[in-house]
Amino acid sequence: MTLSRSDASTARPADDVVIELRDTSVEYGMDRGTSKVLNEVDFEVQRDEIVGVIGESGSGKSMFASAMLDAVPEPGVTTGEVIYRPEDGEPVSVTDLSKEELRRFRWEEVSMVFQGAMSSFNPVMDIRTHFVETLSAHDYDVDRGIERARELLSDLYLDPDRMLDSYPHELSGGMKQRVLIALSLVLEPEVLVMDEPTAALDLLMQRSIVSLLEEIKEKHDLTIVFITHDLPLVADLADRLAVLYAFEFAEVGPSEDILENPAHPYTRALLNATPNLSAPLEEMRPIEGESPDPVNIPDGCSYHPRCPLSDEQCVESDPGPYDAGPEHDVHCHHWEQSVEDIDVAFAETDERAFTSAAEKAVDEPLVSLSDVEVTFGSENDGWLDFGEDETVSAVDGVSLDVYENDVLVLVGESGCGKTTLGKTAVGLQRPTGGSIEYRQRDIWEGSGGTSSLADEEIRRALQIVHQDPGSSLNSHQRVRTILEQPLKRWHPELDGNDRRERILGMLEYVGITPPEDYVERYPHQLSGGEQQRIALIRTMLINPDLILADEAVSALDVSLRVGMMDLMIELQDAFDTSFLFISHDLSNARYLAEKTGGRIGVMYLGRLVEVGSAERIIQNPQHPYTKALRWATPELGEEAREDPPIRTIDIPDAQDPPSGCRYHTRCPEAREVCTTESPEFVDVGDETQIQRSACFRALDEHPYWQSDPIADDS
Amino acid sequence: MNWKIRRIGQAVFTVLAVLTLSFVMIRMMPGNPVDAFVARVGPQLENPQEAYERAETYMNINPQEPMHIAYVNYMADMIQGDMGRSMSQNAPVAAIMAEAIPWTLFVMSWAVFLGFAVGISLGALMAYWEGSKFDSALTGYATTITSIPFYVLALFLLMTLGYQLGWFPTGGRRPEGVAVGFNLPFMMGIIYHATLPVLSMFVASGAASLTMRGNSVRVLGEDYLRVARLRGLSDRTIAIRYVARNAILPMYTGLMIAIGTMFGGAVVLEEIFSYRGMGYYMIQAVRARDYPLMMGTFTVITIAVVIALLIADLTYGKIDPRAGSEDREAF
Repeated sequence: MTLSRSDASTARPADDVVIELRDTSVEYGMDRGTSKVLNEVDFEVQRDEIVGVIGESGSGKSMFASAMLDAVPEPGVTTGEVIYRPEDGEPVSVTDLSKEELRRFRWEEVSMVFQGAMSSFNPVMDIRTHFVETLSAHDYDVDRGIERARELLSDLYLDPDRMLDSYPHELSGGMKQRVLIALSLVLEPEVLVMDEPTAALDLLMQRSIVSLLEEIKEKHDLTIVFITHDLPLVADLADRLAVLYAFEFAEVGPSEDILENPAHPYTRALLNATPNLSAPLEEMRPIEGESPDPVNIPDGCSYHPRCPLSDEQCVESDPGPYDAGPEHDVHCHHWEQSVEDIDVAFAETDERAFTSAAEKAVDEPLVSLSDVEVTFGSENDGWLDFGEDETVSAVDGVSLDVYENDVLVLVGESGCGKTTLGKTAVGLQRPTGGSIEYRQRDIWEGSGGTSSLADEEIRRALQIVHQDPGSSLNSHQRVRTILEQPLKRWHPELDGNDRRERILGMLEYVGITPPEDYVERYPHQLSGGEQQRIALIRTMLINPDLILADEAVSALDVSLRVGMMDLMIELQDAFDTSFLFISHDLSNARYLAEKTGGRIGVMYLGRLVEVGSAERIIQNPQHPYTKALRWATPELGEEAREDPPIRTIDIPDAQDPPSGCRYHTRCPEAREVCTTESPEFVDVGDETQIQRSACFRALDEHPYWQSDPIADDS
Repeated sequence: MNWKIRRIGQAVFTVLAVLTLSFVMIRMMPGNPVDAFVARVGPQLENPQEAYERAETYMNINPQEPMHIAYVNYMADMIQGDMGRSMSQNAPVAAIMAEAIPWTLFVMSWAVFLGFAVGISLGALMAYWEGSKFDSALTGYATTITSIPFYVLALFLLMTLGYQLGWFPTGGRRPEGVAVGFNLPFMMGIIYHATLPVLSMFVASGAASLTMRGNSVRVLGEDYLRVARLRGLSDRTIAIRYVARNAILPMYTGLMIAIGTMFGGAVVLEEIFSYRGMGYYMIQAVRARDYPLMMGTFTVITIAVVIALLIADLTYGKIDPRAGSEDREAF
């Protein structure tokens, strides 16, 4: 293919379709009725394009992926037509293939990479065996196939020999994901279907893999269907975008068109609801309501219950595709009105004044961490101890202050120690070095060698909201019982009626109505967003001074995240508490910190490398690692994509961290001095904005500038 | 490598600790067997001094020696395989053990391996036809049979197949009037005598099939199985290399522990069938207050368990790569 990316979608003959879906449905028979998880969709995948399919969880996007290979998990049934057109040869109807034909078709013509890359390999076989098995099952020449596998692996920046001889558990998540991509391409398929291939990975890894995909696609003449919930991630990779909502396509069109001129109200709302780094905060708005149940899809347009433009027509008739431009189809009766009105409809702003972080710094800190170290694992102490000497330093000398009414967001890749540091700050993890003070009192004072705080007042003041609300609420207790516990414990003066009033009031405050109905429910009868709000209220009822929110919005749908973050900010303001957020997502961090005037702290391998106000960290990062994170956070509508600002994709082993500045192994700016000396924090802020960075480059005078750059071997 | 040496060291330490404990129990308990023996035997002898020497022959402990010397002598004897002399059988304990252990091993290993082999096969089939009548019937059967103690079943089998129908012998371990050795009638006779004990243990072991069923169902839901199917691997490859291998792995340690503990099960079983194995002698020893024999069987059982677990640990890494590289115990 010689067509370039920008004109691919328009200049290509319209009939060069590689996979065509006609009236395709996937149904599951359930006790309470038939569940339609893909509802009569029509779709065409053009040859040699990258098409991004966007959908929230429960929108049917995984079913869409599986349907293309007729590989819907049992007992689901695929109906309608799925037609595959090879480059030369007759079209094949995938749904009519025999079992043996289907076995050959999959992986040879269309292969698939899916979400569970972590567990996509047989744990007791090495990687080479996986390749050999696949090759011989399809009667391919094994030696030539392994040669191809080696080539693919090195294209994905992996060491082929090491990979082939490894067992799955010896590889990191990002490595496994890339090996799986190589495995899916070893039989030279025409089409690669990727279902949330990067969802479980860190931002930097996600971004690196996505940028590798384009090279792989060009080199191997692939057609890629990339399915994700993360619109910005594919926005600049894909030639075309398709938006799935409630098991149907809402809108399909060229990427730029969808991003700049979305026609469907849902697409517009989704774009508004997606946190990013550049858009003004006022434009970010959650989508009210929740996605429909597959057993009970609303009549007419399935989005009408959540749509501000819906009228009689939307309830009565299913909106057929309307033509909203070249190659741009939209399933909405009122798309023209949507283009004009939706942004206005969402543009009411509420102005709230926040004290900036710079002013707070003069107060006494609420919680103060000084030189905190946390080490896990035990050193081997004698011949009766049969554990290996395997200590991991999760947090290595971090000092940090959290003030009254403050918001601090810790960001970093997984394994960087952000959760450990957070837990240490609220007294859930005992540090192995350094101290934590709450209002100038050492929180571990008097607790002896135990792992729980002695002072009940401090325990009350420091609280946590967990990542997964489903498992942090006792599934055998009603909401009422769950919420009564903190009140009974900390407000024994309240009687039953007072408690009830208080709980109902809180539920109403966070928008769970009618509260009388909800207090009698069990957690499994609540949606994910409601569970998280219950967990948040439970913490709030204790009336804490500092709340650790560990990835508190990661488990929620994109469209609900902004709403949840708004609620937390509102509660923080109303209850006068401080928040310590933990996030792997820089856009969420920016939203939280900028809206509250808080700070963002960037962690890398157990050390804090940069702290500053949201504006400084996002707009003017000083530390090369912050710059890399910034690069890894995809931007909507950003055209130019430069090369990754990191030298190696994979994180060093935390058991054996690099010497000197821990980032030097990946840092593009690293020089010889970085390998031996560890940089201290340098204040690069000014009167209004806080910013401290642990990099020699922040200093004007330093031996760094005379040091030799580290030879770039990658 | 280092870990293996230490793991072996740990096993040796356990054995030594058990031997020490047996010394402490014999020598230091108030009214301990050594004192009782001297008190009982002493008055009957012309030379009371001889009672102490006899005590040393039987129990490897001379009560006249200072504690630390007695301990060193006791341990040295035990390590050399001298476990004293049985009072009731009037023979060296080691000799009795050497004669009895093969019979116990014979019966119990049959029972354990048959139980696991059949259990794994049935469990795999149950998982394959999950939810079918076959599955629910066998699950019900396995649950019922697991809740019946094997010795109750043994008594039942003994009563029906042994006494009422007379199909199998009701006691003994080998045919009479047949030359001992590797000849067919003798071999058949041994198997014939072992049938009821093996059967009662085997029928009662429904747990293996339930474990296998559960493991297989779990593996069938794994992502790698879905990927393997999409990759077009044959059903046979998937069944054996993907499902069976991953489902059996967790049961391996269970099997090794079963080998270790089968000696314990032998105690009751051999008594019921008057099968003269190790367990039979242990009961005899308890009845006759024959401390040397009792401590001997006790020591042998302990060592067997320790060795079985040691083998399980050392070999687990070979069959599961995940355990091998992390150098962890298998359980």
